[in-house]
Amino acid sequence: MSAQRPGRIMPRWEGAAPLDVVIGVMGFLAALALGASLIASRTAEGWRTGLADGLTVQILPHEGSGPTLDSESDTVLAILRRTNGIAQAKLVSDTEARALVAPWLGSGAAIADLPLPRLIDAAIAPGAIVDLAELTQRLKSAAPDSVIDDHALWLTRLQRVADAVIWSAWAILALIALATAATVTFATRAGLAAHQDIVSLLHQMGARAGFIASAFEWHYFASALVASTVGAALAAGIFALTGGLEIAGIEPVPFLPPLGLGAPQLIWLFAVPAVTGLIALATARISVLAALARNY
Amino acid sequence: MLRFENVGMRFGGGPEILRDVTFLLEAGSFNFLTGASGAGKTTLLRLMYLAEPPTRGLITLFGCDLATTPPSQFPALRRRIGVVFQDFRLLDHLSAFDNVALPLRLAGKRLDHYAHDVEELLDWVGLGAKLEAKPPTLSGGEQQRVAIARAVVARPDLLLADEPTGNVDPDIAQRLVRLFEELNRLGTTVLIATHDRSLLERTQAREMRLVDGRLIEMRTPRP
Repeated sequence: MSAQRPGRIMPRWEGAAPLDVVIGVMGFLAALALGASLIASRTAEGWRTGLADGLTVQILPHEGSGPTLDSESDTVLAILRRTNGIAQAKLVSDTEARALVAPWLGSGAAIADLPLPRLIDAAIAPGAIVDLAELTQRLKSAAPDSVIDDHALWLTRLQRVADAVIWSAWAILALIALATAATVTFATRAGLAAHQDIVSLLHQMGARAGFIASAFEWHYFASALVASTVGAALAAGIFALTGGLEIAGIEPVPFLPPLGLGAPQLIWLFAVPAVTGLIALATARISVLAALARNY
Repeated sequence: MLRFENVGMRFGGGPEILRDVTFLLEAGSFNFLTGASGAGKTTLLRLMYLAEPPTRGLITLFGCDLATTPPSQFPALRRRIGVVFQDFRLLDHLSAFDNVALPLRLAGKRLDHYAHDVEELLDWVGLGAKLEAKPPTLSGGEQQRVAIARAVVARPDLLLADEPTGNVDPDIAQRLVRLFEELNRLGTTVLIATHDRSLLERTQAREMRLVDGRLIEMRTPRP
């Protein structure tokens, strides 16, 4: 046997090198966008479980309401602990309440005399449904100054923020896919022009359009797969490094939720090269078939 | 096998290069096409191997009227034709082996099915030691032999050769003609366009001559 496998019909085209760079950069950006989407989803889920599984009851202070506040707090605690679906209820201490407002009002002597509402944190048992309307009615009749907050407003707003981030990331991914397809189309046309003699010979020898297209499409598929894998690996490295810093207690970007990705999520980033390869393959095939139909 | 009826060919608004060309290539026949340079031999061959449609006239190939044959069937018709191009048209990035194997790959054959045939054929044309050589490293005569091997490897129904012995020494030329004759004996219809009168003298094949774009029957084979 003279050859272990047949030679490539189309030679490696040196003019395609810039395409590899462009697709590598696009793979990097796409993996960053996908990572951002995963982080937003994870953060939204954290918010949802953190807030949806609990409720807060405030007993609002008013002029001379000190002793009343205490008795209303006890009443509310007792009602909550008797309510089906409430796993536990505890009074937030005065120190904890002042710590909560400290970021906005400061922790000096100025707020020492500030009347703060009594806060009662209640945790809902997993899977349990609490009839909030009925609970509100019972609390109001027993403690007129109580206000129940099931966090629905916050949850809705936070979910909107997370949704906006997720949809923006997907929009960016769609734009990158579009740009990749356009780039491959341009490169395929240039490749066809550069290999005009080979295409013409194959056509003359009776090659089907699909055979010629496959010679191009696998070339662009392999190029896109390799270049995009390099880009995605770079992005995965950044997310992994960020995660490592966060585990070590270093906050790389203040005020934002954790930006690191764990191993299961990092694996998702490598869907980017696979999709990029398929986009390149399909785009190259369509471009070559269209060009052959036009020119031959 | 191949019939031309009143075929004319012109490029753009230029003069007719071929005029009222009418002939029939019988299946299994051996034919020469002669004529001075510029007489239209290459253009006539291009019409025969379906590189372009004629300006006028009727061409029937393998029983198909080309004017009414759907374009989707042309690749299958082309695969039944072996062509030795005057400029060889070898793929420089492929080895001699892969160049010769190309028609078999186009026909969907697998390497393990054709490797032996390709090696044997390259050996026959004197290139058994250069299977892996790339065309740019071969001499003109060697490239021509690779081109001939490629044209015949799939045992085409019709073999068209444009000056196939132009770059080889007389011994090799004789060997190549014997290859064409062997292929012809196996049923392939052969047409060789050539300037080389010595090729014609060695055989009693039919000669068609092109003079100023018109085809003249010079010699018909002995019965």
